Amino acid sequence: MKIFQVRGGVHPKAHKEQTKDKPFVTVLPKDEVIIPLSQHTGRPAKPVVKRNDQVFAGQLIAEADGFISANIISSCSGKVKAIEPRMTDAGTMAECIVIASDGEFKNAPGVGEETPLDTLTPSEIIEKIKRGGVVGMGGAGFPTHVKMMPPKPEEIKYIIANGAECEPYITCDHRLMLEKPEEIIGGLLCCLKIFPGAKGVVVIEDNKPDAIGVMKAAAEPYPNIEVEALKTCYPQGGERNIVYSVTGQYIASGALPASCGCVVDNVGTLAAIYRAVVWNEPLMERGFTVTGAVANPGNFMVRIGTPLSEVVEAAGGLNDDAQKLLFGGPMMGVALPGIDVPIKKANNALTVLSDDEVARAEAKQENCIRCGRCTRACPMGLIPQQMAVACERKDLDRFIQLHGVDCMLCGSCTYVCPAKRPLTPMFKQMKPVAMGYMRAKQAKGGK
Amino acid sequence: MAKLFNVSSSPHFRSEHTVGREMWNVVLALMPATIFGVYHFGLHALLVILTSVLSATFFEFLYDYIAHKPNTLWDGSAIVTGLLLALCLSPTVPLFIPFIGSMFAIIVAKNFFGGLGKNFMNPALAGRVFLIISFGKLMTDYAVDGMSSATPLATLNGGGTVDIMKMYLGFATGHIGVSILCLLIGGIFLLATGTITWQIPVASTIMFAIVLLAFGPAGFDPQYLLVQLVGGGFVLGIFFMATDPVSSPMSSEGQLIFGALVGLLAALFRLKSSMTDGMSYAIIIANLFTPLIDKYVVVHPWGVGKPAGFAEAKAAAKAKAQTEKAAEKAQAAAEAAEKAKNAGPVAKSFTFPVSAAILCAITLIAGGALAGVNLMTADTIKANQEAAALAAYEAVQPQADHIGYDDDLTAAVEALGGEVYGTSYGRAYINEGCVGLDASGNIVGYAFNVSSMDGYDGEVSMSVGFDTEGTLLGISFTTLNETAGMGMLVDTDSWKAQFKDVKVDSFTLIKAGGSTADDEIDSVSGASTTSGAVVNAVNAAIDFYQKNCIG
Repeated sequence: MKIFQVRGGVHPKAHKEQTKDKPFVTVLPKDEVIIPLSQHTGRPAKPVVKRNDQVFAGQLIAEADGFISANIISSCSGKVKAIEPRMTDAGTMAECIVIASDGEFKNAPGVGEETPLDTLTPSEIIEKIKRGGVVGMGGAGFPTHVKMMPPKPEEIKYIIANGAECEPYITCDHRLMLEKPEEIIGGLLCCLKIFPGAKGVVVIEDNKPDAIGVMKAAAEPYPNIEVEALKTCYPQGGERNIVYSVTGQYIASGALPASCGCVVDNVGTLAAIYRAVVWNEPLMERGFTVTGAVANPGNFMVRIGTPLSEVVEAAGGLNDDAQKLLFGGPMMGVALPGIDVPIKKANNALTVLSDDEVARAEAKQENCIRCGRCTRACPMGLIPQQMAVACERKDLDRFIQLHGVDCMLCGSCTYVCPAKRPLTPMFKQMKPVAMGYMRAKQAKGGK
Repeated sequence: MAKLFNVSSSPHFRSEHTVGREMWNVVLALMPATIFGVYHFGLHALLVILTSVLSATFFEFLYDYIAHKPNTLWDGSAIVTGLLLALCLSPTVPLFIPFIGSMFAIIVAKNFFGGLGKNFMNPALAGRVFLIISFGKLMTDYAVDGMSSATPLATLNGGGTVDIMKMYLGFATGHIGVSILCLLIGGIFLLATGTITWQIPVASTIMFAIVLLAFGPAGFDPQYLLVQLVGGGFVLGIFFMATDPVSSPMSSEGQLIFGALVGLLAALFRLKSSMTDGMSYAIIIANLFTPLIDKYVVVHPWGVGKPAGFAEAKAAAKAKAQTEKAAEKAQAAAEAAEKAKNAGPVAKSFTFPVSAAILCAITLIAGGALAGVNLMTADTIKANQEAAALAAYEAVQPQADHIGYDDDLTAAVEALGGEVYGTSYGRAYINEGCVGLDASGNIVGYAFNVSSMDGYDGEVSMSVGFDTEGTLLGISFTTLNETAGMGMLVDTDSWKAQFKDVKVDSFTLIKAGGSTADDEIDSVSGASTTSGAVVNAVNAAIDFYQKNCIG
């Protein structure tokens, strides 16, 4: 099939060689599992257990509150120690269910029992995905069952398995494709059962030829699944970019991939779908890369809610020169104040930087020379320089006129800026303000 | 408490590119042209370049020091400005010229507006234009006027040929950055490193070519076009000055508009003005439009304003899509239209510049009114001009009773077809010939109206009178728009007397003054261009007279 190449993008150094050959090592939480109630887009889940309740791995402990929300599942067996605010990755306290693990990881009844896919109807599959608390595991954490229920399911033409993994450093999707291709293909088959008219496409950046080979072999028996290579370029793995690459269609501003007949899921999400649907195993663990300035960088299979400090310990601990901890990669990752936070469903990596480039950049910021590199790098075709001027002047109208609200905060413009302007941070602040302003204006205009 | 880690907003990676490197790229790109300039013009060119660069860095440092700003010397921008300024100077200028030019460029054009990134026009060009206005004669004093396209063009128009290859390689006279080949190498380097984009050079070249071919004197003549392209400051301008990112638009669409504007203005200045370096003015004027272009050219980002399924629709059309696909496409388009509707004011990405339209209308109306007035008064103006021309003829035919026309002479003038006269008088034209008659109608003298286009400000026209023996009876100007106090001084009786009552085959201009012979003319001090134009025109008249009126 024809693959379209998106505009813009940057080529930061990948740094993937540190961990790309390290197979997953299972790390089990020692004595405490901290499971935040909000690990997804939408409203936090409502707890259904109380303090001192006995729980098992795979048991529902908090249920989705409303349509766009997701179930929360216990990832170990033990006693509920507390339901209280704990420090999470955002640097703030958030409500968490804390479980004292009994160290046995006993499964709840029914978990791990096979249900052949042939015996299931589409609505049963969606129900199982929802029950399993599956959310987008690439970073956004969007509840997957919502994606499976678009307004016009008959118009879905492609189910896209996103294995681009364009962020530097991270390799957990890469390893997953190498080690568990059958789970990813299985997840795709589940989705194809929901959308029988659609076609499965696995997209992988061409810097992972081994993964492309393995996935091609795994997809061989299925004529409605294709594996395609994408050019290596950041942010190739962004949802809009992936949809354009496959269909040549632009997702309209503010719309979802379904408007272009696509459902995009990270390969990790698809594996989780497969396990939830076929093996009745809710989302309890995920692949997690620990890389950068740690003693033994590697890929780990971790339970959701495992304290990050334990995984760092498994990776040999932080190096002395560690300066910055990032959940995710260096382009879009979130800087952490410390390692005493739990791993959530959507966290794919801990990147430890020994050299804080932002601190260096901020030390030598210069006037914008309007070189236009940001404009050329922007995958959305925006003009970051002009948007930044609007931000500096707090000119919301101009920011909106420049389509600043369509910025996806990928950081490409900021990466290339020779004057080291803090473009993306400015847009991060401005975007929600502008969106609120727009809504207020529309409400006023619409009466 | 455990170790404290840095926390900041993403992205946490920065490319290694810096402003300094961006500037050094430009310096590197200018190196071939600089080295060639020094090789070709010699030591003085090197001194001009050094003075320009060193004084630019000095003034940058001085300003930072006085204004208590952090030292910005090492971002390299002052060096770029100094080097660019030097490359568009004549290799023979006195060294105070680059010094003053750098001062104006760095302090006034750049730092007064906030330093690098804030200047609204290219500092090097601002410096150059400042120098032209202040030291006009020094700035345009090339041994042969290589920077301006006038000389090669005149040669071309006069039926001669110009060695385009030599101009291209740079073995010509002109400003220091004269080698087009070296400049192109630099331009390609800049394109390859992403320092500049193709939009501005390409758009300006295309626009320049279109205007010259459509409205140029030579019509559709590739050779003429080539001379225009390799001559003057065009290549230096479009690759190194118009592309100055600070003063050109951000979006590629805006850059196309900007480039076209530069091309249009450059072509118009070459065709319609007497200036030798229209390029500087073209770029500076286009620079002034940059904020306006940036304001109104808002690009369509992804998914906004464009119909969904854009690329797919194109691919499908190519493959002669089946009806099914067409229906899909229509649906997608309808959806997109609906979305565009719902998106409301946001989807309207190109705001129509109402104020610009109003301004345009005012300009058009004012221009129309002016043209109307011109039409209405045209007859009066013509009558006045004819009276002035007659008076000028009478002034150079003092012995005649009245002025008349001779059919043979008129035919001889018409035979010239309004072309440049001869090959050795610059751009000189014989406009009209008439005869001086005595009371009984006998021819007692001849008078010609001649003009030269090589005056400092364009056309210089005059009447030249002869008796029947070949002796000049004097000259009288009919068109003279030269600089007051300099070029205008040719219209003094003492200077014009040099052309009175002498019988020579041609005059020679003595720039330094102190002529001794009849056929030597003292240049008006500081106005050798104007004086030269007059001498050329008179020589043309003498030649025409000798060929047509004697024997």
